[in-house]
Amino acid sequence: MQLIKHAFKTWMLWELVKGLALTMRYFFKPKITVEYPEERTPLSPRFRGLHALRRYDSGEERCIACKLCEVVCPALAIVIESEEREDGSRRTTRYDIDMTKCIYCGLCQEACPVDAIVETQHFEYASETREALYYTKDMLLDVGDRYESQIAANIEADAKYH
Amino acid sequence: MTTLFINEEEVTVSSGTSILEACRTHGADVPYFCYHPELSVAANCRMCLVEVEGWGKPAASCCTPVGEGMRVTTHSESLSKDREMIMEYLLINHPLDCPVCDQGGECKLQDYAVEHGSSHGRYKEIKRAVVDHNLGPFVSTCMTRCIHCTRCVRFAEEIAGTGDMGVLNRSDHMRIEGVVEDALASELSGNLADICPVGALLDKPSHDVSRPWEVKRHKSTCTQCPQGCDIVIESRGDEVIRIKPDHDMGESWICDRGRYVHDSFRSDARILTPSIRTDSGMQVVTWDAAVEKTVNLLKDKRVGIVFSPDWSIEGLTSIRLLHDRIFKDAKVAFDLHRRDMRPFAFEEGFGMTPENIVTADEVVILGSDLRQRLPILMQGLRKRTFSNKPVTRIGAMNYRTNSELTHDALIRPREWGAVIARAMQQLKDLGKTAAGMDAWLSAVPERHEAGKLLADALLADSCALLVGEEIRSHADAAALIHGLDLIARASGHGEEGRDARNLIPEGMNASLLSAVFGDIRTSVSDLFDAAHDGELDALLLIGSDPLGDGLFSMQAKRAMGKVPLVQVGAVAGDVSEYADVMLPASAYSEVDGTFINMSGNVRNADEPLSTVGEGRPLWKVMMRLIQGFDVDVPAVDVREIRTLVQGYLPSLAVLWSDCVDDAWHMPVARQKDAIFLPTGIAPVMALDVISRYSMYREGAWVRASKSLTEAGHIRALDDVLLHPNTLQAAGLKPGACLVRTASGDFTFDVGVRDDVVEGVLFIAKRGVAGDLSCEVMASLGGGQ
Repeated sequence: MQLIKHAFKTWMLWELVKGLALTMRYFFKPKITVEYPEERTPLSPRFRGLHALRRYDSGEERCIACKLCEVVCPALAIVIESEEREDGSRRTTRYDIDMTKCIYCGLCQEACPVDAIVETQHFEYASETREALYYTKDMLLDVGDRYESQIAANIEADAKYH
Repeated sequence: MTTLFINEEEVTVSSGTSILEACRTHGADVPYFCYHPELSVAANCRMCLVEVEGWGKPAASCCTPVGEGMRVTTHSESLSKDREMIMEYLLINHPLDCPVCDQGGECKLQDYAVEHGSSHGRYKEIKRAVVDHNLGPFVSTCMTRCIHCTRCVRFAEEIAGTGDMGVLNRSDHMRIEGVVEDALASELSGNLADICPVGALLDKPSHDVSRPWEVKRHKSTCTQCPQGCDIVIESRGDEVIRIKPDHDMGESWICDRGRYVHDSFRSDARILTPSIRTDSGMQVVTWDAAVEKTVNLLKDKRVGIVFSPDWSIEGLTSIRLLHDRIFKDAKVAFDLHRRDMRPFAFEEGFGMTPENIVTADEVVILGSDLRQRLPILMQGLRKRTFSNKPVTRIGAMNYRTNSELTHDALIRPREWGAVIARAMQQLKDLGKTAAGMDAWLSAVPERHEAGKLLADALLADSCALLVGEEIRSHADAAALIHGLDLIARASGHGEEGRDARNLIPEGMNASLLSAVFGDIRTSVSDLFDAAHDGELDALLLIGSDPLGDGLFSMQAKRAMGKVPLVQVGAVAGDVSEYADVMLPASAYSEVDGTFINMSGNVRNADEPLSTVGEGRPLWKVMMRLIQGFDVDVPAVDVREIRTLVQGYLPSLAVLWSDCVDDAWHMPVARQKDAIFLPTGIAPVMALDVISRYSMYREGAWVRASKSLTEAGHIRALDDVLLHPNTLQAAGLKPGACLVRTASGDFTFDVGVRDDVVEGVLFIAKRGVAGDLSCEVMASLGGGQ
């Protein structure tokens, strides 16, 4: 009996048929490949991409130079200098993030008491030079201005889990 | 002694100690806000509650003395609840703005809120807000954060003695008010930011700049006055953020001068690179080019060297090495305030420790504005007020003090001989004599009654004479100091252990300077006159700024126009406009160096900051110069230079080999053969001249500091001052007057004060009449 079974499998190319059947099953299944960059996967509101500095609706920058993000940063990627602004408020004069050092852990965002430094869902900022990845305060504020609606929506979406 | 149990552990403390102090010394953690070891007990924060067995309710440990057999518990469930409630109460009106508060990270309220507080607040009502005050250039306020511990009020009352902080109203309306016009009156005001346990009083110059966790702490020595306080320099990277007293070394307070001078470390006045003068002005060059130019200027020339005493021991000794190897015949001077270069019977420096001075039976301040000169010693004397110990002062002006003076006598500089003679006479009449007294007495015919105060004080068991600048800068200083030496020895205050003789030096390292430069020092004014008269070909100025400091700015100005000038220094100062070569040297915060203070204490600062610019420690600059002259360099590292220093001071070996700072003490030079009799300078003119010192204006570092300069403007008196009677006697009114001196006639705006002695013209050293500092006498011409 064993011999007959073996002979049948051998001469009828049974293994091949089994393999082709699997192939055909996948051939007719719906496809899951995303054709990046024309197509994109959805991103979580908690996605940790490029950093941004936010402003209030009045246009005033949120950051108060408490330097908690600087001290919490495990990669020492943030450098902040601060002084008293003319109106007496505490503000940064320098806020730099070295994206080549950053490990995108999101601790800066968590530490921030005023939701000033956030990580956006933007992740396509590769550059040909290292210098271009050194983000200064102006660049970060600019990122914030461009993505503010997205940032606000993400924070709102995530708020109920806090 | 009392024995009690803290958390079941038996401890023994001296009777009368509070429970809190007993807990602190035995490492039991009790939280507190209002208690401070240097201040009186207020017991108003209620944070330090502990349980005592058998007592119905918890006790405030700061104001409860220990009792025999007491059983104290510092942690229990009910105490935790009490502390949580007190924290909740303190936080009712405290804003939750820790992220923008400079205190955040070193704040007691923040720490205790985490340790003892509840995790959420129940208070939903509106918080109160309090108006801020302008307390001057050093302290910034955010009074909404205040928790009313009243440490600042007690500090102003007890330590500073100015009482310009106070409490207004009660309960919810209670607020701390500064009673100030332009600034806090105290020269210790910077300490307010240190003692405030929350962020209500903050350091203004470093406001909003740094966070406590960013700073690195460097132990160092302050060289801004001869006291040489132990300090901790807090820096972020290499930028100095704050300077604080070193609590580990027992310093509780430091003065504003030493604390806020740090903005000059990075000011535009710093000499950052070697530079030489060309037709188009100063030009930055390499070290090699600058040294070559220096060698060209100085080689085989008659050179005058003027240096400042504030360098480290290593730096100062390297100047001597340069002198011995290259400029053997050069004139060397450093005493910008000494007219009389004869040796003093007791040289500059203290025979007593500050602690002994504070506890002595009698203290006599002789001609010194001690509060400006040595604010921390003056603060020590203030403690005498509380123990009813006398402080006597004899001097030309009612210099502000923060200690009550038991006796006060105003005398003119020309009367010092008579004062000392009166004291000597009294001691002689009592049978207390010393060899040489008769000769001294017979050289002074007059007697001044103020001498009785001096003699009475000397009769006490322990007495401290604090001999100040009015005597040290006197034209006949050696004779006066010989006289003081005689009366001190006659009254038994000359021996070891009872020594009363303290001559307040002008700067740091006084005892080292006497030892290393004693045989070659000359007078600064002679040196500059020689340069002016063509007897010198070039000047080498090492850190000194004789145009800004000292008595001889007029002579310095004349000389500097005549001969080429090489300036070595950390901060440019006024002399830089004359300099042909400038070589940068590191500041005192930037060297691994050793310093000696006025009482002979030695401190090694071995955690320096990095030097700004291309500066090098002074001894390296000196060695580089020696190398430039093609002479073998005597030392190539700091250990070798220290070996060479030991050639001058063998006993320093102990310090450097064992690395113990406290164990070594440098005695002050005593010169038994410095016997000089008063010559009695002929009073050819009606007025004596005294140039006033200001802690906010003296010293190149201080003048480069913005915040101290601002304070100097706020506290400045009139540039030229007289007693109203003196002016009246001359038939003049305040305003423009003609002042006649040996160096010419000048017209100045003259102000009046009635707390000064008659017959003395007071001039501000850095004011319009500063160049007259070199004068001893003057007279008044007509008004204009």
